[in-house]
Amino acid sequence: MAIVLEDVTKIYNPGQPNEVHAVKGVSLRIGKNEVVILKGPSGSGKTSLLSIIGCMSRPTSGRVLVNGRDVAKLPERFLTEIRRQRCGFIFQQFNLLRGITVKENIMLPLYPAGVSLGEIKRRTEEVMDLLQISHRANFRVEQLSGGEQQRVAIARALVNDPEIVLADEPTAHLDTHLSEEFLRMISEIKGAGKTVVIATHDPLVYESSLVDRVIHMRDGIILEEGQ
Amino acid sequence: MKYRRFLILLITESLILLGLLLWGHYRGQTEFVRLTGLKDLVTSLMLTDLSIWTEARYTRHPSQTDLFSAFQDCPGCLEHFPSGSIVSVPPHLRRPEEIP
Amino acid sequence: MRRHLFILEFALSGLCRRRYKNLALLVAYSLLIFIISSILFLTHALKREAELLLQSSPEITVQRLMAGRHALVPVDWVDTIVSIPGVIDASPRYWGYYYDPFTGANFTVLGVRSSEFPLKGREDLDPEDCLIGSGVSETGLLRTGDSLVMVDPEGIARPFRVAGVFSTSSSILTNDLVVLKEETIKRFFQIPEGYAVDLVVRVANPSEIDTIAKKIKEKIPSSRPITRTEILRTYESLFDWRSGMVLSMFIGALLAFFIFAWDKATGLSAEERREIGVLKAIGWDSSDIMEMKFWEGLVLSSLAYLTGTITGFVHVFMLGAPLLESALKGWSVLFPSLKLRPVIEVYQLMVLLFLTVVPYMAATIAPSWKAAMTDPEEVIRS
Ligand SMILES: Nc1ncnc2c1ncn2[C@@H]1O[C@H](COP(=O)(O)OP(=O)(O)O)[C@@H](O)[C@H]1O
Ligand SMILES: [Mg+2]
Repeated sequence: MAIVLEDVTKIYNPGQPNEVHAVKGVSLRIGKNEVVILKGPSGSGKTSLLSIIGCMSRPTSGRVLVNGRDVAKLPERFLTEIRRQRCGFIFQQFNLLRGITVKENIMLPLYPAGVSLGEIKRRTEEVMDLLQISHRANFRVEQLSGGEQQRVAIARALVNDPEIVLADEPTAHLDTHLSEEFLRMISEIKGAGKTVVIATHDPLVYESSLVDRVIHMRDGIILEEGQ
Repeated sequence: MKYRRFLILLITESLILLGLLLWGHYRGQTEFVRLTGLKDLVTSLMLTDLSIWTEARYTRHPSQTDLFSAFQDCPGCLEHFPSGSIVSVPPHLRRPEEIP
Repeated sequence: MRRHLFILEFALSGLCRRRYKNLALLVAYSLLIFIISSILFLTHALKREAELLLQSSPEITVQRLMAGRHALVPVDWVDTIVSIPGVIDASPRYWGYYYDPFTGANFTVLGVRSSEFPLKGREDLDPEDCLIGSGVSETGLLRTGDSLVMVDPEGIARPFRVAGVFSTSSSILTNDLVVLKEETIKRFFQIPEGYAVDLVVRVANPSEIDTIAKKIKEKIPSSRPITRTEILRTYESLFDWRSGMVLSMFIGALLAFFIFAWDKATGLSAEERREIGVLKAIGWDSSDIMEMKFWEGLVLSSLAYLTGTITGFVHVFMLGAPLLESALKGWSVLFPSLKLRPVIEVYQLMVLLFLTVVPYMAATIAPSWKAAMTDPEEVIRS
């Protein structure tokens, strides 16, 4: 899946005293099976840009082309459809739902997809095996360690077999060892032919050898692109 | 699956309600017999009212009462609550008096 | 179809997850429905009871107005009334109130003629005997054979032997009655010879009642005829629950509940907002989230509705409405036991449903709608 951003801006609270220009005229192209890093200090607009790439929010102006089609003006339904079928998200705080089991958390993205229960179970078990958390399937998420929660979050992002995986500061709450393990999982995801976009300011991540491209951001604009 | 549990709960409650309504229907019929017996009492004692509230004339015999019935028992009397507010002015008092 | 089932399933697991909050909501909500349904059932049953029983009360009651007040009726009015075509019979009634200073209760004292003696298996009443309602019997601790003492206008205490007590099953009619022989009551109240308290008129054809009442009024201008339909209408409006102040006594509770519900159900917690954002981000549509909230509200409010009506029914028709009784009783010393005929109309259940489930659904779904409509990014950030 190719995603092309053309002159994208994002303004929060336009016209109000607390107006913020979070993204200012960004153009970029993310190709298939790339690992792209959005790097920059806090407040530089990484999350804003990432959510535009992942069809989580619309740009204030500019075009977002997913496989050649401009999605910025499409109705909400289509954005949802794209998220459901093509995107997997890994959030900074994991954002797992407390009070339900690991398995149920991973199954969540498949509920509105209209697949059968058998299929849901099959796919869930598959990703749980892949991420080695099958033994925790019936634990509630708050009973898991940070590393295990991380795996559950990744499993949930992968269960719908997305073309692109997006991660926002995935290592912010992890120690070095777990961060390295996260990178290993990312390399596996890349090996499976998926595109990965990570917003981070963790050197461990952006200096990793599996990264194809680093996009350096500051104050909502791209400073430079490097390998 | 959880929905089964909730479904069972809802169905059980619905069935209980249905059962109660059926019971009520059945009881209603036997009670009807009892009340028909009481109707004879109404006829022979020539009763015009139910004996629910007994604290004031206008609540004991609302059908026999006066228009100025509230506070009727004495000028300083309190309005009776809640009966006084449930019992409203009977229709024969609301009808305009015909002048012969 | 599968999708709906999964969403329902997730909604229910959501109910279970926020167990205590939802349980508290369910309890408060059921309690409210219990109260409203109890009032509704009780008043409706009383209404039907009155309707059924008072069908056999006299077609016309004739009072006399003198100086704008009730006065004793001359018995010779009977002749004037009987001469009106269509009237089968007219007869004087002797009755009055007696305030019993010992118990603080008001009795209704009623005179009967031996010829129309009401109790089966009992031919007549001795002049010194009385029959009492179960309420009189209970407050005065009187049983058959005991003496009921009443003080006459001269200040002389007169004992009456209790010859029988009306059964509690008739207490809705007889609770406060003291039945004496006609001669006895005339003597006791010192009603002058040739006068009665009022007259009752029997009419052959029900469709003529109104015309006859009119004729009575024409022939005897100082009379006030009251027809049976008017009596029935009095009772119809009596238990009209919309005007029932009992309801207003619960308005406080009602308000408290709505504040509670407003807070709990409408204000989404930060946690819930975050969850909605997460669900949207992982591919749930706004409509899926609304559907989830819809199921949540529907299940919760139907459970509350069923629980409330079931307990209301049991409370009113099986237990005799003990909780409402104390509220309804007010200042009455004598209050009948409310053994009511269970009559419920589907209409009532529907009214209850629309008064409770629908507003709740609206109140819970509206705020989630707002959250579901915003971009998932913003929902997660906030
Ligand atoms: N919902 C919002 N309303 C107003 N300002 C926002 C909102 N979200 C983000 N911002 C602002 O936009 C800027 C960029 O934020 P963000 O994209 O989160 O940067 P980063 O992820 O690099 O820390 C910040 O100054 C932030 O305060
Ligand atoms: Mg950020």
